[in-house]
Formats: sequence, structure tokens, C-alpha cells
Amino acid sequence: MAAPDLLDPKSAAHNSKPRLSFSVSPVLLNTPEDECDTRTTVMRWKTVSAIFFLVVLYLIIGATVFRALEQPHESSQKLAILAEKLDFLAMHSCVNSSELEDLVKQVVSAVRAGVNPSGNSSNHMSLWDISSSFFFAGTVITTIGFGNISPHTEGGRIFCIIYALLGIPLFGFLLAGVGDQLGTIFGKGIAKVEKMIVKWKVSQTKIRVISTLIFILFGCLIFVALPVIIFKHIEGWSTLESIYFVVITLTTIGFGDFVAGEKGGSDSSEFLNYYKPVVWFWILVGLAYFAAVLSMIGDWFRVISKKTKEEVGEFRAHAAEWTANVSAEFKETRRRLSVDIYDKFQRAASIKRKLSSELGINTTLNQELTPGKRALSVNLYEDREACPNSTLSLNPITGTLARNGSFYLNGLSPDYADRQEIAIIENLK
Amino acid sequence: MNSVGRSWLLLTGFILFYIIYLLFGALMFSSIERPVEDKLRQDMEALKQEFLNQSCVNSTSLELFLVKVLTANKYGVSVLKNSSVNSNWDLTSSMFFANTLVTTVGYGQSTPLSDTGKAFSIFYALIGVPFTMLVLTACVQRIMCPLVLAPVRLLQRSGMEPRPATFVHFLLLLLVVVLCFFVVPAAVFSSVELSWSFLDGIYFCFISLCTIGLGDFVPGTQPGQKYRQLYQVTVMVYLFLGLMMMYLLLRTFHKMADLHGLTTFLQLPHCDESDLEDDREPIVEGKREDQAAPCQTEKEASKHLKPGSQSTYNTIHSG
Repeated sequence: MAAPDLLDPKSAAHNSKPRLSFSVSPVLLNTPEDECDTRTTVMRWKTVSAIFFLVVLYLIIGATVFRALEQPHESSQKLAILAEKLDFLAMHSCVNSSELEDLVKQVVSAVRAGVNPSGNSSNHMSLWDISSSFFFAGTVITTIGFGNISPHTEGGRIFCIIYALLGIPLFGFLLAGVGDQLGTIFGKGIAKVEKMIVKWKVSQTKIRVISTLIFILFGCLIFVALPVIIFKHIEGWSTLESIYFVVITLTTIGFGDFVAGEKGGSDSSEFLNYYKPVVWFWILVGLAYFAAVLSMIGDWFRVISKKTKEEVGEFRAHAAEWTANVSAEFKETRRRLSVDIYDKFQRAASIKRKLSSELGINTTLNQELTPGKRALSVNLYEDREACPNSTLSLNPITGTLARNGSFYLNGLSPDYADRQEIAIIENLK
Repeated sequence: MNSVGRSWLLLTGFILFYIIYLLFGALMFSSIERPVEDKLRQDMEALKQEFLNQSCVNSTSLELFLVKVLTANKYGVSVLKNSSVNSNWDLTSSMFFANTLVTTVGYGQSTPLSDTGKAFSIFYALIGVPFTMLVLTACVQRIMCPLVLAPVRLLQRSGMEPRPATFVHFLLLLLVVVLCFFVVPAAVFSSVELSWSFLDGIYFCFISLCTIGLGDFVPGTQPGQKYRQLYQVTVMVYLFLGLMMMYLLLRTFHKMADLHGLTTFLQLPHCDESDLEDDREPIVEGKREDQAAPCQTEKEASKHLKPGSQSTYNTIHSG
């Protein structure tokens, strides 16, 4: 009763359910009203595809602008570094360290501009052709930001700022929509699987756990394992490097030490033109998946902290209940004791009343007494009036005296009767 | 301990744990990467000596040399004379790296070189990123009340309608954030960093606070930087605060859009109170919704203590 959430398995399972989408309400896996579901799905699908086309258009515009701004600058840098290299080769006599430092500085700054001075200039791919600019724009609005390509002109940088300001919220909306779609598709699949599992009479919590595991496994297969194999094959990275690239990209960290599609030389340029947009599309869907995974991990953190809080709360409630019980018991004992004493007091009072009522009856009998008795009784009566406090002590004696008539007038009172009356008096006291 | 104090304690605990997590990551990275970096540096030195010994240079050896220099430079190792003192993986730099990892900024000017480092960064990121999000959300919810709700109420009390009030407040907040987190830091950066202009400073601030993190500008990596440790720590604090402000702006904008009906128009998830309460529950206590739960149990317990309310011991137990 203190912590109903923990006792109720359904609500406990609700806390640990994976958050499959960005929407406010978690995806209900057993929705009874299917027609409402399809209706909202249809509207969302239209919105999502509209936003998707808008984003693609935005990216193409960004790519064109970047190319127009950056490519002239890049070609001039390329020419400069080539001239440097030729000069160096011309004077191939002893080189002193300062000239070497100069060369290295030039090389480093060229690399930072994205130009690789090694190799010939013929098979050099421009870093700012359409597909690469598209890729760069994609990395900016997804906030991954690899950094292997970055704008170097002032105009490029200012445009980058404005571009990101508008593009990041736009991409956020798109991601929310894609995440919802993903969640719905997955939810439908899980509902089918759940219908099968329910036949096995497994508890609700177990179903949730199984669905989470399936979600993780399936998603990892599609969005992580498959791309890892593809990257390993195409880029020539090791398995670890491919996994590293996938994780760093999909969490939007984006260091840029490994970038897909960076190696320009080996394959034909047409293939590369298709390869980069496919990679970007994979990034989009994979980002939605990773956002779901990360929010699930965040939910686990929340559940752990909530459970801890509940356990602490339950413990506190138990402690409070224990103290309450103890004090209630104490009060009850006190009450019973006081009731006992009160009872005894009542009994004593009733005995007193009884005895006093008996004495009241006997005073009417005094009129049949002999003159001697009457005198005694009158005397005693006078005595009684004089000392009213001691009526209790005198009455039984006079009572018995009166009752037994002249037998007691002589003062010869049998001990028995006296002792009995005295005993009653003692008890009452 | 009242519930408000408890929520502050919890938040402080969160922030403390966040700092400890960063320190832990920094130590791990430092211990993993530093030996590899030293070895690479030694290799570069040897290469340079070899080159200098050669009297005649041909193009193949030059190409080899250049390729090696470029590969080293990609990982942040420079072969220049006066930059051999500062390591990229001492404690503050590793912490800086860990910070860029968990805030998903990811500059990339120094990246893990060894395989172990790469594997470790994978796990570190998978746990650290949601945790950072949690901490940031908690902080934002905390400062939401004094920075957003109170001024809006103030504006409303001074006679404005709710919709224009939220709009005006959002503009004011935007102005303050741009001033404090873009203009002023850009001025500071352009004066401290020798090769940066003011525009470069603003560009850097924007790219970092949107967590894009291209990495073409990274503060504190110039050779011969004075007070490098302190500088990098300050930049980390600035990044965290700036991120928090961006989240706050985003949330305020979402609420404003909600109020103006934009979210229903675009069929986006609402920023409604139920979600807020649900988010707030384990993180930020002391709000009314959450006080109900512990208050409930306390009320039940205190009912037992009222004298004379129960007639017999049995009813106390069953109540």
C-alpha cells in the first residue's frame, strides 16, 4: 500500500518500456482502436514525406552555395601548394631545418584546407563538388560535423552559421517524424510477435523485455552490422574502425578522423556520387534508431532512479507505519488500564450507593423500637447528625443494632456480624 | 529534510556525478592514449632526423615524408619545433576530449589513436551521451522556473495577453543569450587566441553550441598558450552553460509554438504539462505533482497516530 507502483506489475513494466519514438505518449503495443491508428499514421506519413522533400531541397541549395563559395578558394590553395612542392624539388641540395619547418607548416595548413599535397594532381577529387557539398551540408544540419571539410572563406562561414540556424530545427522535425514512423512499423511487427507469445502465457514484464531485446537486436543488425560490413569492404577499414565510425557518427559526435567516402581515388566518380547520398540516407535513419536507443538508456537511468526513490519511499513508509503501530499499541494499553481503574471505581461507587440505600430503609424501622431503643437510636441519630462524616462507620453498627433489636442494646454484639460489616468497609476504603 | 532541499541535493548529486564521470573519462583516455602519442612523436623526430641527414632529396622520399606528416597531423600530432612541449592527452586535454565526446560536439582535433582507445570511446559515448542529456534536461527544468515562468507571469501581470507575453519574453531571452554566450565570448576568444578574428570567434561559438563541432577552430591548442589548463577548463564550463542555454531557448520556443498553435498545425509532439511532469518525476522533486506521492504515504502513516480515531486495535491494523 505504501508503494503501489512496485506492487503492480503492469505499471512497473510501463516504466521500463522502451521509448520507441519522439512522440509524447509511448507507442502502445496493444492498441484496440485500429482505425484511429491508421488515420493518424496516414496524416503523419504525408507530413513526413513533405518535410523530407523540403530537407532534400534545402540540402541541394546549401550544396550549390557552398560549392560556389569554396571551390575557387580551394583551387587557388591547390595551385599554391603545388608551386611550393615544385620549388622544393628544384633546390634538392641540403635542406636546413627552417625551410623544412616552413614546408611542413604549408603542408599542415593545406591539409586543414582539405587538400592533400601528396600524389598527383590529376586524380584529385575536389572536396567541394556537388556530392561532397551535399554531404557537408548534411553533416552540418545533423550536427555531426566531421570537420574533414570545413568552410574557409568568411562568406562560407557566415553562410554556414545561417544555414545551420535554419537547418537544425528543420532536421529535428524530420527526425521526429522518421522516429515516429520507425516506431509505428516496429510496433506493428512487435504486436504480431506478441500475439504469438501471449499464447505461451508469459507475464507482461517478460513480453516488454523480449520486445526491447528484439528492438535492439534488429536495429543493430540493420543499422550497425550491415553498414559495418559495407564500410569494411568499401573503405578498407578494420572491423573496430568501422564500428567506431558508425557509433561516432550516429551519436552525432562526428570526429572526422574516419569519414565514409573520403578516399577519392580508387573507384570511379559516378559510384562515389551515388555512394555519398546513400550514406547520408543511412545516417538519417540510423540517427532515428540511435536516438531511440539513447532515450531508452536514458529511460533506464530514470527507472533506476525512480525505483530507488520508490524503494526509499517504501522503506520510509514502513518505518512510519511501524512507529505508528507501536504508539497505537501503547495508547491501547493505557486506555485499557484506565478503563480497568474506572470500572473498579464505578463498582465501589455502586456498592456505596447500595449500602447507603440499605441504611435509608432501616431508619423507618426505628419507630417500632422500645423506649430504651428509641432513646439509643435518637441518641445515635443525634450523634449521626453531630458527626456526619462518620455515618458510614456508625451506620452498619446501628443498623445491625437496630436490626437485631434489643439483643445489641446491651452491647453484646456478636463478632460475626460486626466483622462482616467492617470487612465491607475495609474493602471500600 | 524538506522536498525542495532534497531536489537541490539530487541535482547537485547529478552534477557532481557528471564531473566525476568526466574526470574518470579523462584519466582513462590519458592513460590509454598518452603512450601511443609519445611513440608517434618519437617516430616523427626520427623521421625528421633521417630527412635532414639526406643531402639530396628526391620526390619519393618527400612523398613518404609528407604522407607520414599528414597522417600524424590528422591525429593532432604536429612535427613543428615549438609544439613538442604540450601533449594532447594530459589531464585537462583528456577531460576536454571527454567533454566533447559526451556533449556530442566532437571537434576531432585530437582523436583516439589506439584500438583500445577507440573501443573505450564507443562505450563511453553510449553511456555518457544519454546521461549528459539527462543532466542537461534536469538543469534546464530547474532554471525554467526563474528564467521563463516568473518573467512571463510578471509580464502578464503588467497587463499583457499571454500570447504576446510569451513572444516578447522569448525575444528578450534570445537577445540576452546571444549577447552573453556569443558576442562576449567571441570577443574574449579573439583577444586570447592570436590568429582568430571576431568573426572566427562567433563562428566557433555557434559551431560549438550547436554541437556541430567541425574542429577547424579549437581554443587552447595553440603552442605556447599561457594558463592552458585553466583556459581549457573555462572553455568546458562555457560549453556546458551554453548548451544549457540553447536547450532552454529550444524549450521556450517549443512552449511558445505550442501556445500559438504551431505544433498542432505541423502535427508535432506537444510540449504539454503531462510530459513535463513525467519528465520531472525522478529528476526534479519538489514540484507539486511529485510531492503528492511521498505526501500520500506520509499522510497514511500519520493517520494511525491520531488518538481516539480508532476504536479497537483491530481497526488500526486493517485501516
